[in-house]
Amino acid sequence: MTDLLANLALGFSTALTLHNVGLAFIGCLVGTLIGVLPGIGPIATITMLLPITFNVEPVGALIMLAGIYYGAQYGGSTTAILVNIPGEVTAIVTTLDGHQMARQGRAGVALGIAAIGSFFAGCVATVVIAALAAPLVKLALLFGPAEYFSLMVLGLTFAVVLARGSVPKALAMILLGLLLSTIGTDLETGAERLTFGVSALTSGIDFAVLAMGVIGFAEVLKNLEAPETRDLEKVPIGRLLPGREDLKRAAGPIARGTLLGTALGILPGNGAVLGPFASYALEKKLAKDPSRFGRGAIEGVAGPESANNAGAQSSFIPLLTLGIPPNAVMALMVGAMTIHGIVPGPLVMTKNPTLFWGMIASMWVGNLMLLIINLPLVGIWVKLLDVPYRLMYPAILVFSCIGIYSVNNSASDVMLTGVFALVGYALLKLGFETAPLLLGYVLGRLMEENLRRALLIARGHFTTFVERPVSAGLLGGALIVLAAAILPAVRKRRAEVFTE
Amino acid sequence: MAGETEPIPASPAERRSVIRAPQNFVAGLALLAIAAIALGATTDLGSGRFYAVGPGLLPRGIATLLGILGLGLVVGSLLKDGEPLGRWPLRGPLFMFLAVAAFALSIRTVGLAVAGPLVAMISGAASPETRPKELLVFAIVVTALSIGLFRYVLNLPIPILIIPGILVL
Repeated sequence: MTDLLANLALGFSTALTLHNVGLAFIGCLVGTLIGVLPGIGPIATITMLLPITFNVEPVGALIMLAGIYYGAQYGGSTTAILVNIPGEVTAIVTTLDGHQMARQGRAGVALGIAAIGSFFAGCVATVVIAALAAPLVKLALLFGPAEYFSLMVLGLTFAVVLARGSVPKALAMILLGLLLSTIGTDLETGAERLTFGVSALTSGIDFAVLAMGVIGFAEVLKNLEAPETRDLEKVPIGRLLPGREDLKRAAGPIARGTLLGTALGILPGNGAVLGPFASYALEKKLAKDPSRFGRGAIEGVAGPESANNAGAQSSFIPLLTLGIPPNAVMALMVGAMTIHGIVPGPLVMTKNPTLFWGMIASMWVGNLMLLIINLPLVGIWVKLLDVPYRLMYPAILVFSCIGIYSVNNSASDVMLTGVFALVGYALLKLGFETAPLLLGYVLGRLMEENLRRALLIARGHFTTFVERPVSAGLLGGALIVLAAAILPAVRKRRAEVFTE
Repeated sequence: MAGETEPIPASPAERRSVIRAPQNFVAGLALLAIAAIALGATTDLGSGRFYAVGPGLLPRGIATLLGILGLGLVVGSLLKDGEPLGRWPLRGPLFMFLAVAAFALSIRTVGLAVAGPLVAMISGAASPETRPKELLVFAIVVTALSIGLFRYVLNLPIPILIIPGILVL
């Protein structure tokens, strides 16, 4: 306990310098600015804004990035409430009651309770991360290659189950991601794999390139196809601060949403997406009058928004302690950290405590920033929504191209992004979901490395994965999760959760 | 959007068709094609032994699994009704790709001052709602802003304007 306090104190003394608070502020501000544009999720936002962190020292850069991430998240919720367009999957739930509240003239209260709930969730999640970090890092140091491999298998299994759409198609996307990750020079033998003689592929595909193409650009294409259906009948914002009655109703959902979101966010394989859905379902079940849901119930905004933010934050845990990114956004963070010379994993905490705890403390600072900037600036965000998409998307493309180019100063990266945009678009059209592909790609290299190392240590015996108890347990978990996903009863339940 | 895709009630004409789930059919074929390409491209890589896994083992193993899934999708699409293939408008993807490619080709040869408006104008052709004059003005403003931000505020090494033999900014 005293350790925890001392660590947090170290963190806050780092995060609260004027310089770093300023960086957190800029990060949150531009993150929200870009994130609030309809149809741009956190992945595209972070890729676009990555270059602005290049000239900052590592601690500051990570603090800024975290700010961008939270800003993008909150921006997505803002569009969900105001114009019924979720910035990403996790904000879908917010459109249900949030947008209804806006149509009833309570947009301000919806935005307010979302910010307050998110802030509360952020506070709790920060403490949870700080408390869990040390023991998990100790655990991580006991992990050998076999355990790492099995843990990643478990993560990918979760990703299959959590993907919307059919199980075989999600599985196919994971495999495609794994396959893409093998492109480039084999680290152990130096052999070129699947490069087709293209020199730009010899060092593998940069994650930012793949993510921007398959998710960011493909998203723009999808939006272009749908004629502009933005619900821009001027909804009045109304007052921002929820009244006593509202707060009383929202308190329970916020607390429960926070717990659910934090717990699910820790799961490997993007458990965080489940948080808002689970919280909405729970609140609806607990409500005295469930029919209010979908018609502007404040509980339906407060719970999921808290869960969303809690999950967004606790999904840092697998990354910071084990070095395994649980979702695409965290994978981008890995890329960003690598640019700044930090390899995420159990060693960061011991080798670079200022950075580690500073970043955790900055999460709390970031959440506070959001509360302070977003509510007063809501008017500006609304103005941004007035920019028509016909002007917005060319600007998005310009910034994205600059962003991608700057990551490696490489023109061929930009070209590859264009190719992946087409691939992503085709996959969407064929009914494939691309999130599992990204996760497969991210974990692919780590998995192959650990698999080969584990087999080398065990002299080629696959039994090593089941003989080592922790590894066996993780694989067993994966088996149970996968079996459950295929069981008809769970399949039906899963469909229900995602349609709700 | 929902978990399992609800079978869409097929019109009598479609019901006679052998392929009952066109989207999954094409999806399966695509996976088979990817698997075939990957298997073809990795034939000369060694698999190694399990105690010293070679570079070819994993790509080939994954490609084989992908192929099996693809085959499953194709077979399934013949047995069970599913989503239609839907519309594939090509205007958006085409112009967007051209725009991005134009940026890639011009950023190092002529610089951002040209590449920026180029992306904006070409990608503008992707949408029927574009108004060229308005977009041109907007594109120039956006480019000017990004030059100011990325080159001068952030000091990133992005070429601004290159005229061979005369000027490099």
